[in-house]
Amino acid sequence: MPRPGLVLDVDRSTPPILFHHGESFRLEKLPPGRSRIVYPAEPLAPLKDVAGAIDDALDHPLDSDPLSARLFPGMKLVIAFDDVSLPLPKMRRPDIRQRVIEAVLDRAAAAGVDDVRIIAALALHRRMTEAELRHAVGDRVYDAFAPEGRLYNHDAEDPDDLAFLGTTPHGEEVEINKRAAESDLLVYVNINIVSMDGGHKSTATGLASYRSIRHHHNPATMEHSRSFMDRHSSELHHANWRMGEVIRKAGVQVFQIETTLNTDTFGDTGPLSVLQKREWEWTTRDRVTFMGMKAGLDRMSASARRRIFQGWEAPYGVTSVTAGAVEPVHERTLEHCFAQHLVPVEGQTDVLTMGLPYICPYNVHSIMNPILVMCLGLGYFFNLYRGKPLVREGGVLILSHPTPWEFHPVHHPSYIDFFEEVLADTTDPKVMADTYEERYANDEWYRHLYRTSYAYHGVHPFYMWYWGAHALRHLGSVIIVGGDVKAVRRLGFRPASTLQDALEMATDTVGPQPTVTHLHNPPIVMADVT
Amino acid sequence: MADRRTPATRVERALRSARDAGRRLPSPARAVRAVEFPLRAPSVPAGVEPPERKARLGAAYDTAWARSPAARLGRLALLEGVMRPVIRAVADPERRGYDRLVGLDGPAIFAANHLSHLDAGLLLTSLPEPWRHRAFAGAAADYFFDTRVKATMAALALNAIPIERTKVTRRSALLAADLIDDGWSMVIFPEGGRSPDGWGQPFRAGAAFLAVRCGVPVVPVHLEGTGRILPKGTSRLVPGTTRVTFGTPLRPSPDEDMRDLAARIEAAVTGLADEVAGDWYAARRRAHAGESPPLSGPDASAWRRAWALGDRRSHRRPARTPWPLRD
Amino acid sequence: MRALVFSRRPGQLAAAAVAGRIRPGAGAGVGPIGLRDVDPPEPPTDEWLPFRPRLAGICGSDLATIDGRSSRYFEPIVSFPFTPGHEVVGDLPDGTRAVLVPVLHCEVRGVDPVCPSCASGAIHHCERIAFGHLEPGLQSGFTRETGGGWSAGMVVHPAQVVPVPDDLSDEAAVMVEPTACAVHAAQVVLGGAARDGGPIAVIGAGTLGLLTLAALRHAERGGDTDRLILTTAKHPEQRRLAGELGATRVVAPDELARAVRGVTGSLVLASDDATAGAAAGQLTGGFPTVVDCVGSEESIAQALRVVAPGGDVVLVGMPGPTHVDLTPLWHRETSLRGCYAYRRADFDTAIEVVRDLDLGRLVSATYPLDRHRDAIAHAAAAGARGAVKVAFDLRGERP
Repeated sequence: MPRPGLVLDVDRSTPPILFHHGESFRLEKLPPGRSRIVYPAEPLAPLKDVAGAIDDALDHPLDSDPLSARLFPGMKLVIAFDDVSLPLPKMRRPDIRQRVIEAVLDRAAAAGVDDVRIIAALALHRRMTEAELRHAVGDRVYDAFAPEGRLYNHDAEDPDDLAFLGTTPHGEEVEINKRAAESDLLVYVNINIVSMDGGHKSTATGLASYRSIRHHHNPATMEHSRSFMDRHSSELHHANWRMGEVIRKAGVQVFQIETTLNTDTFGDTGPLSVLQKREWEWTTRDRVTFMGMKAGLDRMSASARRRIFQGWEAPYGVTSVTAGAVEPVHERTLEHCFAQHLVPVEGQTDVLTMGLPYICPYNVHSIMNPILVMCLGLGYFFNLYRGKPLVREGGVLILSHPTPWEFHPVHHPSYIDFFEEVLADTTDPKVMADTYEERYANDEWYRHLYRTSYAYHGVHPFYMWYWGAHALRHLGSVIIVGGDVKAVRRLGFRPASTLQDALEMATDTVGPQPTVTHLHNPPIVMADVT
Repeated sequence: MADRRTPATRVERALRSARDAGRRLPSPARAVRAVEFPLRAPSVPAGVEPPERKARLGAAYDTAWARSPAARLGRLALLEGVMRPVIRAVADPERRGYDRLVGLDGPAIFAANHLSHLDAGLLLTSLPEPWRHRAFAGAAADYFFDTRVKATMAALALNAIPIERTKVTRRSALLAADLIDDGWSMVIFPEGGRSPDGWGQPFRAGAAFLAVRCGVPVVPVHLEGTGRILPKGTSRLVPGTTRVTFGTPLRPSPDEDMRDLAARIEAAVTGLADEVAGDWYAARRRAHAGESPPLSGPDASAWRRAWALGDRRSHRRPARTPWPLRD
Repeated sequence: MRALVFSRRPGQLAAAAVAGRIRPGAGAGVGPIGLRDVDPPEPPTDEWLPFRPRLAGICGSDLATIDGRSSRYFEPIVSFPFTPGHEVVGDLPDGTRAVLVPVLHCEVRGVDPVCPSCASGAIHHCERIAFGHLEPGLQSGFTRETGGGWSAGMVVHPAQVVPVPDDLSDEAAVMVEPTACAVHAAQVVLGGAARDGGPIAVIGAGTLGLLTLAALRHAERGGDTDRLILTTAKHPEQRRLAGELGATRVVAPDELARAVRGVTGSLVLASDDATAGAAAGQLTGGFPTVVDCVGSEESIAQALRVVAPGGDVVLVGMPGPTHVDLTPLWHRETSLRGCYAYRRADFDTAIEVVRDLDLGRLVSATYPLDRHRDAIAHAAAAGARGAVKVAFDLRGERP
């Protein structure tokens, strides 16, 4: 029986605590008596028979006829799936998307469906490479569909492959992949690694164009998504749900298949298993492994470290597969997500600390640049709450990450310019949205790289910054421990060389003897703050 | 006149004494010839009919020793140290479909089509852990167990047990079933022999029988390309490329008729063959429609069957510079 | 009288070239330059006047000479041994404070009739710099007979001095000569492809870069001032000054191509995705004018990558022997134009610029002749050490 999450009060017997620090780690002492640590729950028991669960979901969907009954010869079938940003880290083969897609296709084959398109719903993310597509959908599906161009990446800038479906009552334009919009059935295969994913967001964002996405990926929406991990309090999700309604009214038939994974990120054997244990339970072997690993990593070049970590494949277990109509499916999925992630926490804190790992949704097989550090810390981790933020308004957020001034030139070309031009001028999301966003979004060069190379869309770095808009407004200051000083300053944050210095600096903002909470993440934990 | 003979050198003396010593030793041939009963086997007196000796080869060969710890260690060394490099050099296998085995626990029967002597080695080295080092093969008793040397080699290298080709004998079936019950996985070629012409032969029910009998899943496996490298009837290896494709495990339902299961196995391997030749989705379409091209090839005259096989049985080295593409 | 003297000693020059490559400015220690006690130079004719330097700047071309980086091109137009120093403010015998116009043109050389260039006022194009009654020398400070600014005394032709208004400090006045160069450069730039507006890139924020920026802004003052001028600067102090002197945006040197690409919305020609993504290839568009105030191989190549088709690359910094692929120049009909010195009238403008923008503040340090090695080392590392112009202070020297 996996143990639930835990809020530990730090006392003088508490051992130093593990902080992720990019492609390395730190062990830090937290001040006793006024600190607490939020630990994630242990991985939930996975489904024993995944194939059976998939069959069951497809044959007994929620609020829908069985999938087989919705397939008929001569129909146009589109299968869309979540892109390389999920799950993190990538999943050991076979990926759950492959297993679901094969089950869907097998039924389509039985029904005699010829016209099938399989589309990576990547919105404004970079295109997936062949290797990444093969990993997600498997070799059989890839070899069957990709050579004839029937398995491909969604292109949010292809004027010939977008369909305008209408406008929400709030004036938000809905424009999605034309092929998907005109299909007889759109099957969406998702992975809900966190509660933000899935639901109407899958189609309304994943298959949409810039024209459509800009209506909810903007500072005003993000500031009112509190948090965007809690869909019922998230303006981001409200907008997507309104758009989902427009899509439904336009007659697009969506068969949603959502899956959840447990948090078995680092495994219970192997070199990284120690990262999934609570520090006082580290055995001698764990400690030796950890010290050896850290010593080895510290002697490696940054690129070698990146290669090692980016090669890690997590042994996740599948905890649920649900299919049918979008809304009931998503409610069921959220229950599974929350069952794994939520840990009840009482009250807010003055100072919130987190160790940022080597990966975020936008640097798979890539470099975690400073903008992504901001997005992961102030966007994703800060928003891992339900109710109230873990840190009080005006409090301090302390992040630990090397924050190198380094960018992947193929994946993040517009990020480089954003960092050099926009952040040199302003860190205010509203100002940059008004002054710069349009030029970046419509830059012909970025568009070219997005469509033909493996680059994120020109506007994407802005979205990364907007992702942190709520935190930027909420926080008194942000300190990054162990980061590149110049890069940290460019982000508008304060650099510190040790956690002790950072805690000392935090007292400038929140006064002496502040309460400290550490979010022990990953594996993913979400605080249910009351 | 001075004495013209020079004294023998040290080397000459040594050679000479060695020769003398050699002469004094008995010659091995002569020694053997000199051996008499009881050191030598008795000859049979005339007019006496000697009693029939108990068969110790063929189906009766006892392979238990091949599962002793020492033999298993030896097999591990052979498999990883000899067979794997040889297979890699000769057959350059591309292995697919491991993902379908996720969630498969315990022993299983791996049933593959059969084109060449290479198949057993190729399949054994392709088995993923934990099955690879706890597998045994069913091998034709009349072919692999007819001499002691061949039998020993088959038992050691392949952990083979003799199977009667012509009939399902109690002995071999019981042995296989016992081994499966003991947690060993079986590698079997249900066609019962190598393809004579590159096309498949009808699947026999052995694998299905064992699966139903022991309640273990059958993993259909398709082997492609070994027929080009070492087809039946030749002894010359022509290195080439091969593909090993694992299919979704078939689980017998408790009351399933073994003939139904045998048909399912054959259909599954047929589907895999179709998948390898074309693409997976098209193969699934045909499989569902019952239109997968049969493994046994077209029902036609020999030349048309050979013709339909196309390049799949060309047992020759590809030309280095294909005419006329020279620069 | 004490003077820094640069002699013709090939062995020492070779040593200086090696040392200078290892650490810029190190040529002063091992090279053929040294502090000597010499006789004051004799006036070549009666017209010439003795001139007592007060401040004398250290220019990039001086550093190139000291570090043995100068082109062989200069051999026929300098004469050894000489005392360097052509950015000079000093006193005439009548007590007038004046700045030196160091170009040794026809009138100064006593060539009569003057060459066509001089006749048109383009003294910097003078065609007689190695002829006439003076020994070869393109400027005072590169010729044997006139002496140079890095000494207690030199001689000047009356056509070579411009009086300094009293409200200008010595520090401001020593900036007049380099500013005149910048004023001339601004004229060249604004008369070229950028004449109808359009953005300008200035590569380098050393003395020349900053002054060119100032001169460009000064030339367009009162007019349409929202012209975009992009400047590259390596060091924080340079960034600050460039911003103050009117750069629209200051970027690091390796950011220039991306900045230009972003402003112009250009595409990038590159053979691989990484080069393309970092905008490190040839831009399809670009700025009409790129002013190179560095003059290195990299800066020229960079200028060619970011200049618009049919645009101008103006070399204000002295380049030296350089390897450049001219294919883009040919293909895109880029003009590569040198920009040297000034006309006499430019000094009047320069005085205005210096006064209006308080450019005297750019003199970051002054040294007595005794500490010439420190001075040269400081000048060679000016940017990194937060300095712009380093000068010799000769006000304490005895004649």
